[in-house]
Amino acid sequence: MNYLIGAFKPACHIAVTFSDGKTRKQVPLKKENGQVVMVPLFHSQENIAGKISIEPVSGKKVEHNGIKVELLGQIEMYFDRNNFYDFTSLVRELDVPGEIYERKTYPFEFSTVEMPYETYNGVNVRLRYVLKVTISRGYAGSIVEYQDFVVRNYSPPPPINNSIKMEVGIEDCLHIEFEYNKSKYHLKDVIIGKIYFLLVRIKIKNMDLEIRRRESTGSGPNTHVETETLAKFELMDGAPVRGESIPIRLFLSPYELTPTYRNINNKFSVKYYLNLVLVDEEDRRYFKQQEVTIYRAESS
Amino acid sequence: MVLVLALGDLHIPHRAPDLPAKFKSMLVPGKIQHVVCTGNLCIKEVHDYLKTVCPDLHITRGEYDEETRYPETKILTIGQFKLGICHGHQVIPWGDLDSLAMLQRQLDVDILVTGHTHQFTAYKHEAGVVINPGSATGAYSGITYDVNPSFVLMDIDGLRVVVYVYELIDGEVKVDKIDFKKTTAPTNSTL
Amino acid sequence: MHAVTEDEEKWLAAGITGLQQNAFYMHRALDSNNLKDALKYSAQMLSELRTSRLSPQKYYELYMRAFDELRKLEMFFREETKRGCSVVELYELVQHAGNILPRLYLLCTVGSVYIKSKEAPAKDILKDLVEMSRGIQHPLRGLFLRSYLSQVSRDKLPDLGSEYEGDADTVSDAVEFVLQNFTEMNKLWVRMQHQGPAREKEKREKERSELRDLVGKNLHVLSQIEGVDLDMYRETVLPRILEQVVNCKDEIAQGYLMDCIIQVFPDEYHLQTLETLLGAFPQLQPSVDIKMVLSRLMERLSNYAASSADVLPEFFQVEAFAKLSSAISKVIEAQDDMPVFGVVTLYSSLLTFTLQVHPDRLDYVDQILGACVKKLSGKGKLEDNKSRKQIVALLSAPLEKYNDIDTALKLSNYPNVMEYLDDGTKKEMASVIIQSIMKNKSLISTSEKVEALFELIKGLIKDLEENLLELDEEDFHEEQNSVARLIQMLHNDDPEEMLKIITTVKKHILTGGAKRLPFTVPPLIFNSLKLIRRLQNQEETVADEDASATPRKIFQLLNQIIEALSSVPKPELALRLYLQCAEAADDCDLEPVAYEFFTQAYLLYEEEISDSKSQVTAMHLIIGTLQRMHVFGVENRDTLTHKATGYSAKLLKKPDQCRAVYACSHLFWVDDQDSIKDGERVLLCLKRALRIANAVQQMANATRGSSGSVLLFIEILNKYLYFFEKGVTQITVASVQSLIELITNEMQGENSTSDPTADAFFASTLRFIQFQKDKGGAVGERYEAIKL
Repeated sequence: MNYLIGAFKPACHIAVTFSDGKTRKQVPLKKENGQVVMVPLFHSQENIAGKISIEPVSGKKVEHNGIKVELLGQIEMYFDRNNFYDFTSLVRELDVPGEIYERKTYPFEFSTVEMPYETYNGVNVRLRYVLKVTISRGYAGSIVEYQDFVVRNYSPPPPINNSIKMEVGIEDCLHIEFEYNKSKYHLKDVIIGKIYFLLVRIKIKNMDLEIRRRESTGSGPNTHVETETLAKFELMDGAPVRGESIPIRLFLSPYELTPTYRNINNKFSVKYYLNLVLVDEEDRRYFKQQEVTIYRAESS
Repeated sequence: MVLVLALGDLHIPHRAPDLPAKFKSMLVPGKIQHVVCTGNLCIKEVHDYLKTVCPDLHITRGEYDEETRYPETKILTIGQFKLGICHGHQVIPWGDLDSLAMLQRQLDVDILVTGHTHQFTAYKHEAGVVINPGSATGAYSGITYDVNPSFVLMDIDGLRVVVYVYELIDGEVKVDKIDFKKTTAPTNSTL
Repeated sequence: MHAVTEDEEKWLAAGITGLQQNAFYMHRALDSNNLKDALKYSAQMLSELRTSRLSPQKYYELYMRAFDELRKLEMFFREETKRGCSVVELYELVQHAGNILPRLYLLCTVGSVYIKSKEAPAKDILKDLVEMSRGIQHPLRGLFLRSYLSQVSRDKLPDLGSEYEGDADTVSDAVEFVLQNFTEMNKLWVRMQHQGPAREKEKREKERSELRDLVGKNLHVLSQIEGVDLDMYRETVLPRILEQVVNCKDEIAQGYLMDCIIQVFPDEYHLQTLETLLGAFPQLQPSVDIKMVLSRLMERLSNYAASSADVLPEFFQVEAFAKLSSAISKVIEAQDDMPVFGVVTLYSSLLTFTLQVHPDRLDYVDQILGACVKKLSGKGKLEDNKSRKQIVALLSAPLEKYNDIDTALKLSNYPNVMEYLDDGTKKEMASVIIQSIMKNKSLISTSEKVEALFELIKGLIKDLEENLLELDEEDFHEEQNSVARLIQMLHNDDPEEMLKIITTVKKHILTGGAKRLPFTVPPLIFNSLKLIRRLQNQEETVADEDASATPRKIFQLLNQIIEALSSVPKPELALRLYLQCAEAADDCDLEPVAYEFFTQAYLLYEEEISDSKSQVTAMHLIIGTLQRMHVFGVENRDTLTHKATGYSAKLLKKPDQCRAVYACSHLFWVDDQDSIKDGERVLLCLKRALRIANAVQQMANATRGSSGSVLLFIEILNKYLYFFEKGVTQITVASVQSLIELITNEMQGENSTSDPTADAFFASTLRFIQFQKDKGGAVGERYEAIKL
């Protein structure tokens, strides 16, 4: 799509194609305007190569001061709109100043690009990767074309992945011991565990396990925290008695999760929590929140 | 063919506990048209039982009967025959056929059924037939030693009566029969 | 409460509507093979089952509709997997549902398809399903979910011989699954007891009762598993079930489940695990109605024993009696306040069992009765009807089984149990005993047995308490008549023993009082007379000098017994019995004894018998008996005859006098005794009779102005003929002739009233004379002289 500054009609069509465009996996990307488009998926350290073709519109020749393509990795904070922070910026000069009077195609390549962070669309922050083609012109204004692509990175299975086991409660009211089989889960993983009731003196109505995402942006006094409950999974219906053990089996695949992002470029973090909630007959809620690490595993 | 059961001197419960089982199984309700009983049942239960065998029941009083209102004698007509019933302790000497014949003449009946001696007899004389069905339970008698249980079934057919006597001897029921034919027309006297 | 049910109807209707609506959309999705939508709408549909507003009955209605819909869904799943959809994926897919109850219903449904696909061992899937079901802790919803699990898994258990059979431990796996489901269901069921406010306890218990079969069904499933043999039952199944039953400490569950176990598993198994099974009883809550369950168990085992004789050795081998007996004692000991009815019911069941399995072990039977006595002691007489009925049943059982009173009399504790009955029930029992004897026609043959028997039936023999309720007269007669019949059943061929029996009976009946003697004395008298006759027959054999069974001694006894009737008083009966004894004494040639009996009879006649009709009958009997006596010497006979004629002439009514007097004529002429052929006296009697008949005529003339009946004359005529025929010289032809003329004149006379009976009698008499004439021979000659 052409992105114009102050002009009504595009001077030329700019199209970015990837050399492995036919074979490379495409994933949906939700744009700011709500539209969902399919864009190629890259992983860090991959080569991003392709062609950029520029075609003047209606035969009019385009005079320029140079054509370049940039590969940008950006973080945008929503409360600081249009404030992009580029954490990655690579550039390839495509052409010297000149004229384009007919379709011209320029190959490009960025090799072994370090893209350590994943594309992320959050509540208050966005991290994107984009190829930016710029046709510099003086007074007429530069012509810019963006091509998004998505970056996702796999993590190896964590060498240590301890289970989470804890005994919590309220004195004389409720003692439970909960156990989750791991502390680190991949996106298509399943949380397996159990809740064991050591003491039950309240009248429990039911028990849910929530998955909550906490996105924190900024730092210091400017820290914004947004928490979203992504899943509410009922574990138990009815009131247990002492000694009961309730199984947990929660598949993560149906939920829109992302891997845990810690301190991305010191700008934001996205963390996930399992929130165990017990509700009593009077709708009082008792809960225990526990962070888990989500990662992206190689096998899809 | 009219069946008349004649029996008596059961002496239940003074001298016998019950009718012999073999007799009881033979006395099926509905097969017999009349029952004549010489007396000494002695209790109401026996009366009721006999009623179930046949509702047309005629009883005369024996000296041990609980029910004192049974008649001393009874006369009934069955077909061509006039029957008289009397227990027999009133006819002295007991069991004397001539004295019984006198009673028969007095009652003016063709067949006189009487008991008391516990001894089965069937005797014909000029006035008619005297039948003693014996004791249906084989009860003790001062008059007769070694009493076998017995009863009589009369089959009255026109002018002929066949008298079947059933005796229980050593556990087996033995049957004998005697034929009588009435030669004269019935007398016209009525009670 | 009414408002609650109304609301419930509303909620049920709403639930059904919701269910149907979602089912509709689900079907649409099924039809268009839209798995995603099918799952979505089925989950929504199942959400209706999350309601807390319905009672068990209403919930069941909702559940059944859901059940039907799920069957269609299952079929769809099956088709899908055939079309290439992975069942493993489907199994995961349904677990994405957010609410647990729909999730688990769907999981069980897919689980069923999964097992059928055989892509994984049945045991693994079943294990997963039963484990995951823990998530439903709400009793009602949990019970129905697990019931659903049970239903869909029933035909898919990895049983021996099933297509889902697994490896070596396959049956254990099947059993384990069912046991677990059962255990969890029971826990949920028991939990219901404690939910809700105390005042709604009754409602809760009713609801629990409605749900119990859901729990019990599991036991039924266990019993149907082919692979569960006796060993597995003994080692695993029973202990695990009992563990849950005992540990749940819930009265309702315990009572129901123990009963279930007994009904559902084969009797053979019960026998072989008797100790384990019985061991559970003392561990149950005290309020559980153990006696019901124990009784049922014993009833089943009794029937099992009755089914075939081959089975009996098993009972001996496992020592069933000892174990049951011990278990019952323990239970009774533990439940000190068990009502009497309960105790007796238990012993009653044990007794039935024992009679079936060990009919020859009287010691066992006696032991049971003894234990019963022990428990009853200190409680006094039983008050309530149920207990009484149960004791009667307890005591009747041996009678029915053995068909022989002798055996029952051998049970030393039998009378002890009877002691605890109130008087009314004692009598009832006595009647039962007598009926049993009469039915089986068993003879009681020793005086000891008679003594024991009469002790048992003493309620009928005598008044037990001062102030007895008056019995209905008919009932009393029936009762006493049954005792009379009983006396006929006491017999021994040995005279000594028979005499002992008679003495024993005498002792007892003399305590009976005036009401009872008229019933009990006659049968005893006649039994004794039969004995005397037997002794006579045995006269050939040497009579033992020291023997007490002699006719003389028995007559003494008889005299005492008849004497007792004077206290009633019953003079007519006593008179008859004296005369019977006189006759018997006559047969024994005991003149003084016979004379003594006649004296007693005459005394009664003179002093006690005053009713005219009674006197007539008494005279018939006196004359009839006397006529037959042959033992009397001249003096004694004369005395008695004189008195008899005297009495006859003094009867109240003249016709009776007449008849009695002419009957006396036979006293002077006995065919087979030459010493008694006194024609003179015969004639005197007949003449006297005539005089009385005349007097009757004159009285009739005087009062009615017409002559009375000639009947008496005709009767006397017949008597004349009788003796005439016998050749009594004093009866002349002339006397006969004149009597005939007299009668003829009277009948033809002006003042005569016609009497058809007399006419007929006279006619037949004349016919008789003619007949005799026509006979010819000696008789004909005799009658020749009489002119008609």
